[in-house]
Amino acid sequence: MSNVIPVGPYHPLLEEAEYFTLTVDGETVTDIDLDIGWMHRGHELISEQKTFTQSIYLVERICGICSTSHPLACVHAVEDVDNIEIPERAAYIRTLVGELERIHSHLLWIGLAGHFIGYDTLWMWAWKYREPILEMFEVISGNRNHYGVMRVGGVAVDVDTTKLKELHNILDIVDKKMDMIAKAAKDDPVLKSRLVGVGVLSKQDAIDYCAVGPTARASGVAIDVRKDEPNDAYSLVDFNEIITENGDVYDKLVVRVLETIESTRIARQCLEKLEKVNGSILNDVKEIGIGEGIGRYEAPRGEVFHYVRTDGTNRPIRHKVRAPSYVNIPTFQASCKGIPVADALITLAAVDPCYCCTERSIKIINRNRDRCQLELLKLSREKTEKIRREFYGSK
Amino acid sequence: MPEKDKFLEKMGSRISAVIDKEKRLYFEVQDKNLEDVVNYLFHKMGCRLSTATAMETFRGIEVLYHFSHDASGYYFCPRIVMTDKDNPVMHSITPIFNGAAWIEREMAEYWNVTFLNHPRPEPLLTKNHPKGEGLNQPFRIRRKS
Repeated sequence: MSNVIPVGPYHPLLEEAEYFTLTVDGETVTDIDLDIGWMHRGHELISEQKTFTQSIYLVERICGICSTSHPLACVHAVEDVDNIEIPERAAYIRTLVGELERIHSHLLWIGLAGHFIGYDTLWMWAWKYREPILEMFEVISGNRNHYGVMRVGGVAVDVDTTKLKELHNILDIVDKKMDMIAKAAKDDPVLKSRLVGVGVLSKQDAIDYCAVGPTARASGVAIDVRKDEPNDAYSLVDFNEIITENGDVYDKLVVRVLETIESTRIARQCLEKLEKVNGSILNDVKEIGIGEGIGRYEAPRGEVFHYVRTDGTNRPIRHKVRAPSYVNIPTFQASCKGIPVADALITLAAVDPCYCCTERSIKIINRNRDRCQLELLKLSREKTEKIRREFYGSK
Repeated sequence: MPEKDKFLEKMGSRISAVIDKEKRLYFEVQDKNLEDVVNYLFHKMGCRLSTATAMETFRGIEVLYHFSHDASGYYFCPRIVMTDKDNPVMHSITPIFNGAAWIEREMAEYWNVTFLNHPRPEPLLTKNHPKGEGLNQPFRIRRKS
């Protein structure tokens, strides 16, 4: 007899609102249905009403974790329209910030994965040693998140050369701790018994669902934008693409742990280069011509894709955004079937899903734009009034 | 790039309006030829669908698929233009591979595109909302490419 277990839309495991329906036969998941659409962001549409520079700040806020990946893919797309080159120093800064983001994102996921399976020591370690990376961001850009670094034609923020030694020192600390976390994660018998063979995504399924990032690489699919289309300084630094074959949750963990170590290698090479490479960080881009451009970047979760079409003005007439979770989340339909219910939640978490990235678009039920805006304004005022009443009573 | 040349030779008259940029190939395909082209890209060349973009232009509703040839970093982008803006209809590529399922459902609900033979033609993001028509259209009407 089949039963249905709803997970979400508000569930302790899910940081964001999402709704899964697990059909189970006894303890075994026989089917899974996904119902997204609980958050509407409107980024694509808003971006088409902003200038290219304003759009960068907008897409930076699609995701708090990938807040470099989206702007980087966005500037790549705009630069692709006119084949705009960037200065070498800017390329190293972009790569440095991108890799630091990968380290902090992977550490965040490793911590969460530990927490989900009851291994809270791993959670506390991973998040503790994520902090120095956020401090590095603060040293580089002044912000721990939403760094505001990317610009069409280069970067907006230069790395202070007097701070390079400090950045190296922080990276040394992270390096040592990553070795410890890698050993704890890879050799731990509890983790192995809990994660090996769980939620397997076969290579064929990964290809069929067009999965990207660690989700695909853990299943033996060798795709990595940093290798396939090496933008910025990725063709100038040495690093390994991490690929495993089994496709289970444990392999996804291993891929992320090893990628974090590779990212520290790349970040260190960028810091060394920034000591030697001087000069401009931003080429002067007067205008963007008519055309279309594709930009992508290997975000921590996989390929972030941006497409812009331009008409010669300073705004895109179409800006398409596709986050990695958009193609990774449907793989649940392959990886969750046939596993016990107890393993389903860690399998759902294993692709490191980001739902606010996935739902970057907007719904407009009413064709009358003005009325829509008025309705939103009315809702906003009602909410403000409700909050005011809660704080100050009925006065 | 040999793969691109081979693709152009193999597709012949099935594709038109080719724009060849550095590592990007945009081209138009008629709906009747879409299955052949996508089969060749996905199965023969090993391309991966990154996503698809729908938009309204003066010519009609346009759907642009973005296939990534990861081995070379090249993008192959078949473009389908549907001149009947009120009732855009084209064939789905989801029967060929599952990776197109979500984006086609999204384009169907936002741009009113009917994808024939889609295995699950229901809204993706507005499943629990009243059916809207061409959800993005009020904005598109003002600015066309």
